[in-house]
Amino acid sequence: MKKFILYIIIGAVTFMMGYTINGLYSPDISPVQPIPFSHKIHAGINKIPCMYCHITAEKSRHAGVPNVKRCMGCHSIIRTDSPLIQNLTSYWEKKEPIPWVKVYNLPDHVYFPHKRHVKAGVPCQRCHGDVANMDRITRAVVPFGIPYLRVSPLKMGWCLDCHKNEAQKYIGTPVKNGTDCWTCHK
Amino acid sequence: MAGFLERITERLNIYREPGWYKKFDHKWTMVIDLDKCNGCGACVLACYAENNISVVGKADCDKSRAFSWLRIERYVEGEYPDVKVKFIPIMCQHCSKAPCETGCPVYATYHNQDGLNVQVYNRCVGTFTCATYCPYDVRRFNWRTYKFEQPLDNQLNPDVTVREMGVMEKCTFCIQRIRGAKDKAKDEGREVQDGEIQPACVQSCPTGAMTFGDLQNPGSEVAKLAKNPRRYRLLEDLNTDPSAIYLKRVMNDGAGTHEE
Repeated sequence: MKKFILYIIIGAVTFMMGYTINGLYSPDISPVQPIPFSHKIHAGINKIPCMYCHITAEKSRHAGVPNVKRCMGCHSIIRTDSPLIQNLTSYWEKKEPIPWVKVYNLPDHVYFPHKRHVKAGVPCQRCHGDVANMDRITRAVVPFGIPYLRVSPLKMGWCLDCHKNEAQKYIGTPVKNGTDCWTCHK
Repeated sequence: MAGFLERITERLNIYREPGWYKKFDHKWTMVIDLDKCNGCGACVLACYAENNISVVGKADCDKSRAFSWLRIERYVEGEYPDVKVKFIPIMCQHCSKAPCETGCPVYATYHNQDGLNVQVYNRCVGTFTCATYCPYDVRRFNWRTYKFEQPLDNQLNPDVTVREMGVMEKCTFCIQRIRGAKDKAKDEGREVQDGEIQPACVQSCPTGAMTFGDLQNPGSEVAKLAKNPRRYRLLEDLNTDPSAIYLKRVMNDGAGTHEE
């Protein structure tokens, strides 16, 4: 009996360790970007608004990754001595886009317009987490340095929960036709 | 458990109520003037391009697995010098009382708030029931996952899913364009205007034989055309109440009689 309990405890501990490590290093949760861009420095310390770089978030379906020109708008002057910024400048001089890795990747069969949600007043942090405190973007919540939960699971139930209940906080009513399949699927 | 059954009966009772389908937000309707249709097939091609429809090839076509959502039926009468050819483009009729919806065991085909008969690909398990029930033979089944070879995958429409094996599919009245127009209208704070939405077939028709609009809006082009004396609907005696309206051809006999 004692052995049995020991096995359960060892199993549980191994599972938790595996789960934590998986959350920490799983490439789809926190992929390594070509340039170690820090949202903490930009959005957190320097308080640049999200829409300054992700300009299409309120106009288009896609939030949009800013083009290199937008980066160079500041970084042709600011911190030009840093090797990371020189890396960025090399992309600019080669006239190549930076191959950023997408973190929040929705499946092909989902129609998700960013503009509809931004205009309804859903804050970016509701789905993307506390980006202003992340060096590298991660989909995990990181209290005390241990990632153990995802900010947004990107599952259908999670979407519908907001469409039915939490939407009342933003627009006063549940989303009109918000649970119809062809509102979000394509 | 009791709550679950109540939910289901409530859902079913909606369908038992007469005229339930008239309470939708819209009733998208297509009017096809057969007098203008010359059977060129531009609509078929446009449909293929817009909706990422696979080209199945000759071998599968021979097994009657041809895949076009919109097809043009040809009727040839008479011998060579005195020959008459008639064309009818047939796509999903979006019946208000759709027979296909009654059969689906997984509720993958249903009526949405626009009065459209829609198919949910992710739910479909491929029982084939809907295709068997459909009197117009417009539902198409993916017998295999057809590949779009390089560089053909570059022309895929990002607004439409590429369907996989084992899924039933059919004309959607270009629901992605309806959704796009609604999105734009919502941004500008207005209702969708008549003529704003054009499915791919309507847009590509060189003679303007097809018109698309909302029948619930009395001022729309479709509502005016629907009062035409030439109007008829396919297999109307089956009481499916289709959303596609056809206008009969005018015969070239001097008296202007309509084709029967």
